[in-house]
Amino acid sequence: MVEKFHLKLDDMKEEVLKMGFLAEEMLEKSIIALKDRNKELAEEVISKKGEIAALDFNIEKDVLHLVPLYQPMAKDMRTIACILKMITYLTRIGRYGKDIAKAVLELEQEPHISKLVSIPYMAEMVNSMIDDVLKAFETEDLSLIADFDERDDKVDALRYSIFRECISYMTENPRNITQCAHYIMVARYLERCADHACKIAEKVHYMVNGEHIEIG
Amino acid sequence: MNKDITRDGKANGSSQSVITTQDVNLWYGATHALLDITMEIKTNNVTALIGPSGCGKSTLIRVFDRMNDIIDGCRIEGKVYFRGKNIYDPDVDVIEIRKRIGMIFQKPNPFPMSVYDNVAYGPKVHGITARSHLDEIVEKSLRLAALWNEVEDRLDQSAIGLSGGQQQRLCIARALAVEPEVILMDEPTSALDPIATAKIEDLITDLRKQYTVVIVTHNMQQAARISDFTGFMYLGKLIEFGRTVQIFERPGQELTENYITGRFG
Repeated sequence: MVEKFHLKLDDMKEEVLKMGFLAEEMLEKSIIALKDRNKELAEEVISKKGEIAALDFNIEKDVLHLVPLYQPMAKDMRTIACILKMITYLTRIGRYGKDIAKAVLELEQEPHISKLVSIPYMAEMVNSMIDDVLKAFETEDLSLIADFDERDDKVDALRYSIFRECISYMTENPRNITQCAHYIMVARYLERCADHACKIAEKVHYMVNGEHIEIG
Repeated sequence: MNKDITRDGKANGSSQSVITTQDVNLWYGATHALLDITMEIKTNNVTALIGPSGCGKSTLIRVFDRMNDIIDGCRIEGKVYFRGKNIYDPDVDVIEIRKRIGMIFQKPNPFPMSVYDNVAYGPKVHGITARSHLDEIVEKSLRLAALWNEVEDRLDQSAIGLSGGQQQRLCIARALAVEPEVILMDEPTSALDPIATAKIEDLITDLRKQYTVVIVTHNMQQAARISDFTGFMYLGKLIEFGRTVQIFERPGQELTENYITGRFG
């Protein structure tokens, strides 16, 4: 009975990781699509929306099935709690990827202003946070998320700098407004993704040692 | 670490302790059944003892009212203080101890007599003879045991005719009739169905307002539901003791974690 539960829990962790990699991929590809003005890639990201929603639904259903059957305690229960919260955050990250991909479809084929300001750099930072928190979930190595406070601060600072820069471009030339408005939105989405990575990091920390901490 | 009690069972909060053990060791012949047990049972709280079969939890609960005295070859060392007095001192009246510390067993064991006489038995032994006084005690005890409404019309009938759950609540009423301060329960619901179990659990939750309850249980969910403090025992040792919420959410010892997540036992 109990062994069966632990096998199921391991399967579920695999599913969560699969979902995490999908969310990460959606975000990463949406930024590539933005950089390269690749509408096909943007369409591909948008098409993944259903897949991530299905993973969210199925993992939640399976977890809620396990709880009354096995009544998990201690770390098992903390893992279940972590998974339940994590899938919501991962869904949101995936959906921000989809939102960025939609912006790609709306942008006209004009050259990027100032090489997309600092968006690619910001996206790189956010993606590394998502990558590290997924690894921490998989390996229970909390050192991977130890510096999330500082990394989140840097992402916040980047969003603000992109915002200020875009305001300047818009003031200089009203023809920049559409593109810059999209850039501001994309920066905001990326910042929210970093926030979600921090929330996941809090839950992973709780899963591993049972302590509630606040990050970001 | 919670502020009321430390993991090795020592209280450091303001809530009063009713029973305190100090380095208790117990042997059944050559078998060393309890090893250096030091713990505190806090007043008006439910304390649960959990652990795999043979870990010593039933032995420990029986230490609290000297029930092990009747077992041949049983030897105990260390101190067990009840309200500050070592109950293993030679001048202690064991009958008085068992009046103040009641015990409920795994299987309901009503006497083969009427419901009324079961409850009135203890007070009678302790010298109460006036019928009106006994009536009062019987009703009060049965109400406290949440059984009155089910038996008020059949007080003269044999207790053996009651259901298992009712019999167990009758045994609780019988224990309450002599106004104990502590009620020890050794797996009180293991022979009962889920509905009867739920009634006993509700009763235990109510009893903590007036009494101190110590319960031995195999059912970890039950311990988590009804107790304030939990002690985990393994091979005669008290491995961890603390607030129930902490033990079941974030145990401090790997052994406890492995036991409550079903990895052994």
